[in-house]
Amino acid sequence: MSSLRTCARAAIRIQKLTSVIYTGERGIKRWVAPTLRVINKRKAKLGPQPEPRRSNFLDWNYNAEIFAFNKRLSENFDVELLQQAFTHRSYVAQEEQKQREVGIENPELSIKDNTDLIVEGKCLTSEIVERYLRQALPRLPEEGILKLKDYLLSEEIVAKVSVQIGTKDIILSEDHPVRQETLVNTFFALVAALARSNDVVHTSFFVRDFLIATLSDKEILSIWTPSHPFQTLDAILNREKRGSADFRLTAQTGVNTILAAYQVAVYSDQQFLGIGTGETVQVAKNIAALDALQRMFGIADFSRPIPFNLTVDVSSQRTENLPLTKWCTENLKHTVGG
Amino acid sequence: MSNSHLFMKTGFPRAALNNGIGRYVCQLQRVTIKFCKNNGSSRGVRDFLEHDLVNFAKENPGIVVYVKPRRHRTPALSAEYLNGEKQLLFCRNYTREEVNKWLGLLRSQVRDTSAIRLRKMWHTDNPSIQGPWTPWTFRDPAQNLVEFPDPKLFKMETEQQTATEKLLEIFKAQQEAERKRANETG
Repeated sequence: MSSLRTCARAAIRIQKLTSVIYTGERGIKRWVAPTLRVINKRKAKLGPQPEPRRSNFLDWNYNAEIFAFNKRLSENFDVELLQQAFTHRSYVAQEEQKQREVGIENPELSIKDNTDLIVEGKCLTSEIVERYLRQALPRLPEEGILKLKDYLLSEEIVAKVSVQIGTKDIILSEDHPVRQETLVNTFFALVAALARSNDVVHTSFFVRDFLIATLSDKEILSIWTPSHPFQTLDAILNREKRGSADFRLTAQTGVNTILAAYQVAVYSDQQFLGIGTGETVQVAKNIAALDALQRMFGIADFSRPIPFNLTVDVSSQRTENLPLTKWCTENLKHTVGG
Repeated sequence: MSNSHLFMKTGFPRAALNNGIGRYVCQLQRVTIKFCKNNGSSRGVRDFLEHDLVNFAKENPGIVVYVKPRRHRTPALSAEYLNGEKQLLFCRNYTREEVNKWLGLLRSQVRDTSAIRLRKMWHTDNPSIQGPWTPWTFRDPAQNLVEFPDPKLFKMETEQQTATEKLLEIFKAQQEAERKRANETG
């Protein structure tokens, strides 16, 4: 009986095996490579295609995008103002043109554009950045503050910030792909919209967290360098009634070789001010003077980093940092207050 | 690094737009969940949509979620990040938990991290707070007090015993042995 059973099992197995063998197919699909090759060829023949507009995709919900934009940045934009901030004049003009083409004589659209928001936001951003930098870097001369402000408000930086907070796909504008200028304008419009929907203090947090925080990994001296370090250092020491800058060669190696290195330190009344190393004495002197200035202005490599948790009060009285021509420790005490 | 990494994009671990210095912004801006309504391979995704999607959307109001049914095709998650990159993740035969976990990954990463080869595990724009290296950076501070000429500085430093020292040692040992012998006999 048991032998019969095993026979039956074997028979079933054989049946299964044969069915596998007969219904099997080739493992290698030989049509794939030629098809891909043809597709590639046709793509190359077409040339570069324009970037598709994300808003034309099937999965796109403008209201949901606006809602998410608000929540993503943990902000409380007024939704109408937010939509207005994203709507550029060129978009409205385009829509009007479309209606005219259909045959409507005087197209009346109830869409508001962001022209006035841009102007307002630009002023406000500039004001906030300037005040914040003065507060964060009280020892930096006014020239440096203005240069840093120009750097932060440059088209490249603001456009980058604007893209990174996710405006690119939501902008309603005629140009596509969106131009840098449009991105920058949108950021300014957003700032104004936030100021209108909340208050200026809240707006300053927005500007601080997204725009000013980009300074965190930058070297300030690479953005702004005093143009005449020797004269500047001498003038400052003179104003502080200290002895003039005394440059001393502290070390040198490889003199008269191509790998020569000199180290120069600056002293005033035998007090150490700064140190620099270079391939010639002149270069080393220059670097030492710059180093001394950096230490005075609080922007040296080892200085405390710029704080990114300050609050700016735009309504308070305008104060300016000391310009280079007036900079000295005594004057600094008067302006900073200790 | 294996051969498959050779032609990958390379990069460093970076936070987008100094994320976290000001405030945290989730870098996933929208996700499209594509699935089939009756194919078995979409079972897990359908379960996810039925049970977890609403919670996910509530917990992450900053992410726009689109759901796109398409017939008889593999389910996929299409993620779009704030830096403009897009990631397509196929989830054929995934369970509900797996879909949840993968979506969690998409939500928490800056970009498609599996698409770049990290050149280093760290990155800094300011590599040193003590400035660039110079021949005098790690100078021994004891050298500041040296008065020249210093006989110590003229001396050649050798770790091994010199031949002269070795000879002297042997000579001393010999003399010692001779003295001992003289004492014993005398």
